[in-house]
Amino acid sequence: MIFRPKYFFGETFSGFRKNFLMFFTAITTVAITLFIVGFFIIIVFDIQAILSSIKNQVEIAVYLKDNVTDELKTYLENEIKGWDEISQVNFVSKDQALEKFKKENEGSEILKEIQGNPLPASFELELKSPEKVEQVALRFMDKDGNFIEGVDEVIYGQNYVQKLFSITAIVGTIAFLIIVVLLLAAIVLIFNTIRLSVHARRKEIEVMKLVGATNWFVRLPFLFEGFFEGFIGSVISVVLLYFLSNYLLIRVEKAIVDTMHIKDLAILGSNNIILYVYAGLVILGGLIGIFSSGFALKRYIGV
Amino acid sequence: MNMIEFKNVTKVYEDSTIALKNVNIVIKKGEFVFLVGPSGSGKSTLIKLLIREIPVTTGSIFVAGRNICNLKASRIPQLRRNIGYVFQDFKLLPNKTIFENIAFALEVIGKPAYAIKVQVPQVLKLVGLANKINSYPHQLSAGEQQRISIARAFVNRPPILLADEPTGNLDPATSDGIMKLLSRINLIGTTVAMASHDKSIVNSMRRRVIELEEGEIIRDQKRGVYGS
Ligand SMILES: Nc1ncnc2c1ncn2[C@@H]1O[C@H](COP(=O)(O)OP(=O)(O)OP(=O)(O)O)[C@@H](O)[C@H]1O
Ligand SMILES: [Mg+2]
Repeated sequence: MIFRPKYFFGETFSGFRKNFLMFFTAITTVAITLFIVGFFIIIVFDIQAILSSIKNQVEIAVYLKDNVTDELKTYLENEIKGWDEISQVNFVSKDQALEKFKKENEGSEILKEIQGNPLPASFELELKSPEKVEQVALRFMDKDGNFIEGVDEVIYGQNYVQKLFSITAIVGTIAFLIIVVLLLAAIVLIFNTIRLSVHARRKEIEVMKLVGATNWFVRLPFLFEGFFEGFIGSVISVVLLYFLSNYLLIRVEKAIVDTMHIKDLAILGSNNIILYVYAGLVILGGLIGIFSSGFALKRYIGV
Repeated sequence: MNMIEFKNVTKVYEDSTIALKNVNIVIKKGEFVFLVGPSGSGKSTLIKLLIREIPVTTGSIFVAGRNICNLKASRIPQLRRNIGYVFQDFKLLPNKTIFENIAFALEVIGKPAYAIKVQVPQVLKLVGLANKINSYPHQLSAGEQQRISIARAFVNRPPILLADEPTGNLDPATSDGIMKLLSRINLIGTTVAMASHDKSIVNSMRRRVIELEEGEIIRDQKRGVYGS
């Protein structure tokens, strides 16, 4: 078959003009459904990012007894540094701890009550893989469940950490299911709309076939059309998502971050996953458009 | 030369309606043939078989010597380009102008734009509607629409023209105009087969008449009339 771009594009665009309502409906459907899907994906990625940035802040504080010797302290420090799971170890001496405490509670009544230095020295451990927090913490205990020599207490937010991990997992699964359902709903809706617009032109297809057009000749303008509808619709949804996330979501999140004093919280714009989401939506839109047209045509093209 | 040949053709539809029973017909190049018979006798079925709109059940059909029953799907467009088909219900596309409607039939078979620009006005002159080139179908009378539909079927100068009751909804004077047009097309050498209910037209033309009844040929007459 001879490829004649002028004819195909001409058909596609004169189609746009003459079946405006159908195109408008199809494009709007794509834009709205993909917007909803995209919005949900962004929110979910965001929640996941927040949860994992909280996870990354999981620390273990190992408080030392006051009578610990320098040798023991150095021994422990070297020991801890040798563990694979550890990304960083900070030693906080009794003096530094007091200093820090004073700073954090400046002007408070509490400071007047303090006599001497009641605060313990400690190691602050940051982990490469936060999931291993419990495992690491247990190393500071012996077989009988007592802390090893020199260690007074180990704190890592035992309950809170476990909960956080299971919440992350549950949220992830539910979100994935919802996205799948939304996506299927979007595909079905778009497919039906495009099928309607093909159906509206079944007479044209019939005439084409009966005057001797090859199947590809009939098909191509419709595939173009489906692609344009999907593409334009998804670009519109991405533009809407862009404004929504930049002017609304990020502000809301910044406000939350500021009020909650969470340090280093991953917020939306800082995450380039969102760019993949945008690209994915546009590709998805184009593909759904083409495939919907193709499938819808099957019924009418077999004359 | 045999332009069209039906050999023991039987057509049974999916719902087991027997539309044609063991039909044998030979139509020579340049002939003008009427297909007559009561409603449901199989006239349209016969025409649809010829352009492979529907498949035969048993038997074979030859067009210009070629058996079209075992034609691959990819060869069907080629067959249809050699057969002009005038639909009883016109099948003009309402959102295209007359020019676009006819040009459409040329575009879809890959004719270049310059040829289309020449051929469409030419064929419109032939059917006497050159002044309607920019009108839309709904702005035309039924008779005019039928002539446009003939123009579209003929614009590609096919060797065969099939017309399914082209005068079906028209008054006698308009019908005469259509018949003159088809005669002229036949005179150029085109083989024409036309299904018709119209007694006076068939009688006045004095052409070959093939009469069907319940799917069987009951009469095939050289210079026939509608009823025997
Ligand atoms: N698609 C179909 N499926 C089942 N039966 C059909 C189909 N098309 C036609 N028939 C049947 O086949 C028989 C022949 O129909 P056909 O349309 O060929 O008749 P016809 O001679 O053209 O009639 P008319 O003069 O009314 O147009 C009829 O009994 C009809 O009901
Ligand atoms: Mg009929």
